[in-house]
This record gives sequence, C-alpha cells and structure tokens, in this order.
Amino acid sequence: MALPPSLRTSISPPELQLVASEQLVEIVPLVSMERTAFISGAYGPLRPPTKCKVPLWMASNLKLKKKCHIVPPPWLNVDFLQERLLQETTDPSFSEMPFRFAEVAKILLDVAPDDLQNPDRVRGLLKDIREARQAKSREGLSKLDHNELMLPNLCAMEINEIRPFFVRGMAVLTQLTREPPQEDGMDQG
Amino acid sequence: MDDDYYSIESILAENQKIQCTFKVDVPDMGHLDGGKAGDIKALSKVQIPLWMAYILIYSDHADFTIPPPFAARVRNALNAEPRSVRLSALVGQGGWWYGFGRMIMRLLNDVPAQEISEVLTKTFRARLPEVVDQAQHFASLQSGAGSSRGDAGAAAFREGMDGTERELFQLAQESARKTKGWYETSERGRR
Repeated sequence: MALPPSLRTSISPPELQLVASEQLVEIVPLVSMERTAFISGAYGPLRPPTKCKVPLWMASNLKLKKKCHIVPPPWLNVDFLQERLLQETTDPSFSEMPFRFAEVAKILLDVAPDDLQNPDRVRGLLKDIREARQAKSREGLSKLDHNELMLPNLCAMEINEIRPFFVRGMAVLTQLTREPPQEDGMDQG
Repeated sequence: MDDDYYSIESILAENQKIQCTFKVDVPDMGHLDGGKAGDIKALSKVQIPLWMAYILIYSDHADFTIPPPFAARVRNALNAEPRSVRLSALVGQGGWWYGFGRMIMRLLNDVPAQEISEVLTKTFRARLPEVVDQAQHFASLQSGAGSSRGDAGAAAFREGMDGTERELFQLAQESARKTKGWYETSERGRR
C-alpha cells in the first residue's frame, strides 16, 4: 500500500477537521458579496447586516480577514456545556453532542474567540467534557467483545481516536474465541 | 495472529517447542531430539517445534502435553490477577503468547480447547485496559522525557506484555499522540 503505516489505521484529526469544515454556520458579514458558486455549492449573497449561512471553512477564512462575525452554534456556550458536563458526570452513558462538536468547537475557538462569550470558560468545559467521555470509552474497552460493541453518541473525533486499538483488540478476540459450530460435524478433517 | 501464510507473527508464534510423545518408532529421525542420530523409539518424549508437531499429531504419530506457558500453574496465576503475570517471560522476549495459545487451542478439541480459549480471552480482556491506559499515558508525555512514571508495577507490566499487546500499545499510543497533537495546534498560527 502506498499510504504510510501511520495513516492506514484511521484517518488523521486534520482530515476530520477538513470534513467538519463543510458544515454550515451563520455569519454576520461585514463586506457584501454576490452569490458565488464554489465547488461544494453556491453561497451568499452577503449583505452586511443580514445573517447568512456559509460553510465553516469560508466563515473562518472571512473571519481571519476580519470580514465577518461568526454566530456560534446553539451548543457552544457556557450554559449548554455546563449542563452537558453535569449529565456527562452523573449519567453512565454518553450525552448527546453534535457529531463533530470537537472539530467545530476547536475551529471556532481558534479563529473566532472574540465572537464567543467567555471563550476560556468554554474551552475549559470542553476539555472537562472530553475527559469525562474518555473515561467512559475506557470503560467500554473492558466490555470489549469479539462481535459487537455499542457506544452510542460517541462523536467523530473520539471514534477516530479509539478506532485503531478497538478494531485490533476485537480482531484479536475473534481469533482467540473458539466457535463451537466448527466442531459440530463441520470439521475440516 | 491471523492465519495468513505470510504472516511473520504467525510464523514466530509457531516457533515454540512443545513436548510430544511418539506413539510409533521412527527410524533415523533421532536428530530431532538433539544431536544424537538413530531412531526415535515409541513412547520417547521429544521437544518439537509447533510447526512440525502439527503433522505428527494430526497423523497420529505422536501425542503432546500442554506446554508450560499454559500449564495449570500459569492458569491459576492468571485467574488470580491477569495483570501481574509476565506473558513475555513465558514465551521469551518478543514472543506471541496469544498466538501460541491459539495454536494450542486448535490442536485440542472440546473441553480443553474451550478452557484454553476462555483463559486467553479472559486474560486479554483483563489486560487490555491497562495496556491502553499506559499507552495513553506515554503518549501524553513529552517526547524524550522517558519514563517519568516511577511505578515499578507499571514498568513490570510493560515488560511483561507479549507481542500482540505490544502492537496494541503502539497503536493506542500513536493515535492518542495524533489526537493530542491536533488539540494542541492552533488554526491561527497556520495562516
């Protein structure tokens, strides 16, 4: 295979971030622009005081040029995250988060901290949530089975992080488990 | 661990000796048991590599005994505390305890095979969280910092990992390092 070994097991976090950049976010543009066609679709027109939905990659690009404000998604604020953190620490199952929340949150925190309320607190909460969820996926590891595993509400970045060794671990378990039907008359001998 | 003909792991796992008791006389094969030439007599015990033992056992020329890495003593230790058994010491450095066990399991049938399978899966499952925990711990260390965790038990566990667990350790460490790296880089700096 042409891919280097490190990329064979799973896709890399920057790739996931790229995928997440296709999601639409609301922006308040500061410049006006006609409706413009891009490869992934046509966005705009941008008319300064009106909100507009554009992909995240475009929003962050405009933001870095100081040509828009990004309206943070409804889940990216202190109240919502605090509530989720509480759920995360009291309930043994994973709480419902947007599938690509880690990527979107990171891009917004990197690019547009001034558009968020209390970005440092948000950052801290996200970190706490991440750690709480990591502890749970670790618990899932001890329940690992050779044919199935359910960790509902796990999000993209977390799945990607645990994928290589969960998959390998399950493969090993499959090898170590003895299937009874093999002996019942279906013996190769 | 898989059955691939070209799998190096599987060849290495087969490179363990097991004790066989011959049921028949085999002329001129005495060199299998050390240097002395001559015949192998029936009922003589010979240490034979697993890859050769297959054919002898399947064609009913020999019986084998469960090798020491899976003997009752080891099983009892694994039952008591799977994480304190040094698997690598049982099959030699870089050995494949699970792979070896799987091959023994294939040679047995019914109840003994089921027992081995249970020992293997239980051990694997009990040790896996520790493997991954340590891998993640090491991934979060700055590179070059070495083992700052002076815990002797953890170090002993790491030394005791067999080949399969070492692979998993590496996978977990690599992926934790990549993810951590991503969380720490900033988008801003790149433009």
